[in-house]
Amino acid sequence: MIRLENVSYCYPDGTPALTNINLTIRKGEYLGIIGRNGSGKSTLALHLNGLRRPQKGKVIVKGIDAGDFSKLQEVRKIVGIVFQNPETQFIGRTVEEDLAFGPENLCLPPAEIRKRVDRALAEIKLEKYRHHSPKSLSGGQGQCVALAGVLTMEPECLVFDEVTSMLDPDSGEAVLRRIKKLHEKGKTIVYTTHNLEELHVADRIIVMDRGRIVLEGEPEYVLSDPLLKDLGLTPPSLIELAEQLKNHGIEISWENTSSPSSFAEELCRLFLKT
Amino acid sequence: MPIILENISVFYSRNTPLEIAALKDVNLRIEKGEFVGILGEKGAGKSTLIKLFNGLLRPDSGRITVNGLDPSSKKVKSRVGMVFQQPADQLFCRTVYEEIAFGPLNFGYSRKETEERVFEALEAASLERSMLSRDPLSLSGGEMQRVALAGALALRPDYLVLDEPITGLDPAGKKEILETLKKIKGQGTTIITVTHNLKGFFPLLERIVLIKEGRISFQGSRKEYMETENVPLPPVASMMRELHSRGIQVNPAVFTVEEALKEILRVKSMIEKEKAEKERAEKQTKK
Repeated sequence: MIRLENVSYCYPDGTPALTNINLTIRKGEYLGIIGRNGSGKSTLALHLNGLRRPQKGKVIVKGIDAGDFSKLQEVRKIVGIVFQNPETQFIGRTVEEDLAFGPENLCLPPAEIRKRVDRALAEIKLEKYRHHSPKSLSGGQGQCVALAGVLTMEPECLVFDEVTSMLDPDSGEAVLRRIKKLHEKGKTIVYTTHNLEELHVADRIIVMDRGRIVLEGEPEYVLSDPLLKDLGLTPPSLIELAEQLKNHGIEISWENTSSPSSFAEELCRLFLKT
Repeated sequence: MPIILENISVFYSRNTPLEIAALKDVNLRIEKGEFVGILGEKGAGKSTLIKLFNGLLRPDSGRITVNGLDPSSKKVKSRVGMVFQQPADQLFCRTVYEEIAFGPLNFGYSRKETEERVFEALEAASLERSMLSRDPLSLSGGEMQRVALAGALALRPDYLVLDEPITGLDPAGKKEILETLKKIKGQGTTIITVTHNLKGFFPLLERIVLIKEGRISFQGSRKEYMETENVPLPPVASMMRELHSRGIQVNPAVFTVEEALKEILRVKSMIEKEKAEKERAEKQTKK
């Protein structure tokens, strides 16, 4: 679906942000990207729909060169991005107008735009704020509006750049559930985060450090890799606990490290057996 | 002297069709020297609440006093330091030095006194002196957060109020800020922080205030909080609570990986011992 070939990118001051990245994102894949601040995660995300163009190498989105300025419109219909700070992406005077901006640009009929906006509002449970200015909302509410703004575009591939960092745990989980549903419907998901607990659902995780991909694989292996700590990343606490229990002969299966309740359930079963 | 809120209500867009009650009838008392966490869902009123503490926002009804004074008085403003969610929003000087010196100069301290305070704040916020000549906006997220922190500390506040201070930082950056806050708290400053990051902050919080739809739904010590139903908990704590509720005799008030491991192993060996004894007893009765 998206292919990065030998992509390199330097910041204006000469610091390399990405060095020789080769990556293929498959259609329908849920790809997690982790790494500390300044590791190049966001720069990579920005390359996926032409917001940044590679200084060396190529980004190919469904056969289209994302670095080609004349093809930008097409690429952006396929790949939508949600950013960390929602205020940077508000355009409309009211929440409703903001959500309608994308579909309006796609020249959809008014009835279809109305339908998509209403559906997105219901999904983020902010119907009662539809006539408010997006800037008057709290940080977390704003993030949900930004998310809904991309949902109304219905792109094939959605890129989320640290979208939950400003949300309370409940709203964060709601956003993650929503993303999971989109994935089940066949959307390709690219998700960057510091919070490794959120990547249990991913099909594949890449770990970035200083502009390079240093680790890659299924979450089961990546999230329990001791290298994470050396890279300044904290593994999810339940996975850490499971690893330590394993040293004492108590084995919690990978699936059950995803939530406190399934973890407790399996532990309970193990206790009753002994 | 504490911060006392009595029957506080705050409305946005009052007397318009868009009126929203951000806080409703809030009563709260924050004592000096505590580390207080303010938790709640998006739009619950957390940021609104803390803006009352130094008079940035005035309540529509009710009464608030800080050290017995009205928070909009100049005396209170220097006693309550604020650090906002996006540190870049409160950095506007050309150098880090000017940035940190802005508060003391504004309150009329001499150049010499100001310089003393800048160095003191710099150290408290764990920043290097070499950073003083840099442009604040060229710093990393964690560094900016610490410059904003130093700017607030330069006024030697009694209360340090923070809005999501570790949001958007990577684990190493988070840890640095948490360590810094712990140090500042140790020097006698009261810390009040809005946070979603239970995993990071939970071990530091002495007192927790939970806001739900503009009302305070819980306030009390961390221990009391952990005994309350239906409150957000860090993953390990909620797993331990679940184990406990399923009849496994672990201590449910545990929230770190190390403590949880200890508890689980303790209970495991207890269960195994019981079982072994039971088997022995059964064998004997058979004989």
